[in-house]
Amino acid sequence: MAKILYIEDIQDNITLVEKIVKSRGHEFLFAQDADTGLALASASMPDLILLDLGLPDADGQTLSVWLKGDETLSSIPIIVLTAWPEEVVRQTVSAYNLNGYLCKPFKLIDLVNLIDSVLGAKTA
Amino acid sequence: MELIPADQFTMQELTELYNQTRVDYLVPMPMSADRLSEYVRDFNVDLHHSTIARSADGEVLGLSMLGFRNQIAWITRLGVLPSTRRTGAGSALMDSMLENAAKLNATEIHLEVIKNNEPAYKLFVKKGFVETGTYLVMRHAPQPRTLPLRQGDAVLLDADAALKKLETYPGHLTWINARASMQNMPNTEGVRLELSNGASGWLVYQNVKLKLRSSLSHLIMHTERGNAEQVGLQLLTHLHTLYLHCDTYAENISETDPHLPAFRALGYFTNFSRIEMRRK
Repeated sequence: MAKILYIEDIQDNITLVEKIVKSRGHEFLFAQDADTGLALASASMPDLILLDLGLPDADGQTLSVWLKGDETLSSIPIIVLTAWPEEVVRQTVSAYNLNGYLCKPFKLIDLVNLIDSVLGAKTA
Repeated sequence: MELIPADQFTMQELTELYNQTRVDYLVPMPMSADRLSEYVRDFNVDLHHSTIARSADGEVLGLSMLGFRNQIAWITRLGVLPSTRRTGAGSALMDSMLENAAKLNATEIHLEVIKNNEPAYKLFVKKGFVETGTYLVMRHAPQPRTLPLRQGDAVLLDADAALKKLETYPGHLTWINARASMQNMPNTEGVRLELSNGASGWLVYQNVKLKLRSSLSHLIMHTERGNAEQVGLQLLTHLHTLYLHCDTYAENISETDPHLPAFRALGYFTNFSRIEMRRK
């Protein structure tokens, strides 16, 4: 079982992802803005962060820089879940050295597989 | 439909409404109440002349904001709730903005629309707006190991010196990066550079102090002498060496800006484009 933190401002998306994550036996945490997300990541040390790019205080790109810049958090893999156009997301994930992405709306099985893949790579 | 001045609503109410109108937007960019307050301050948004649309039964339909300074008005944050689109609310909000701009004796009205937002673009054309330029919104992630070697003598500019440089900018700056906006923002800084071959230029930017960290935004660059790509590359190299670990959000770089190759050489990539439109 892994601890997964989802940083996303829209409650409907949180509810959907929570169901998926918990159905796989993982612990689920969430935050609805960047400040809370960073604080919760520091306090809970998740195994994986699912990150929306559109957040109300600082956006997901900036938050990922803060997470990667913190020695205690820098090794936590980050998967982007976003409604941004795919080409922009692909460039973002590459430039910001993140671990994967899914563009909304995505298939639930794709999220399950991506989580398994990133967590598997982390423990391998 | 009822049109109500936005100053009758709290900033929290305006923020919640704005976020609801953008929930399915091409480029999702929600705001917190603090960020919307800063936006109102930085861009001289006049909330009394900004408008909320409400249906006869009291349901809020959408909003639009009006910035105003130096006889020029700027329409921004226009949005209608997804469930109430195609009901004329967007058109009514635009008409309200045009009427309010006229009340303020604006000689010209500006706005920006994200490229490929066809419904909004068509509405603005219908209301008499014409395209005046295309601008890129670009990002740069920290890449400390890939920066070129620094060259030349760089001098840091405080806010006053940076704003003086902006007074000399020879081109057009959109509302987002205009000198008055940069003066309203609390963290304007700059770098001026002279290279050994006599080339020189400057870069003015925001060192945004967020609650927990900082990041860079609103980059405006000018080459005084020499090759713009070379000067731009060195200005950006100095900036990113100075702020090695900062994320950077460069808004409204003109697609004809001669420094664009320098941005790209440093790893900047385009997130989306905005079309500036004006109406006399």
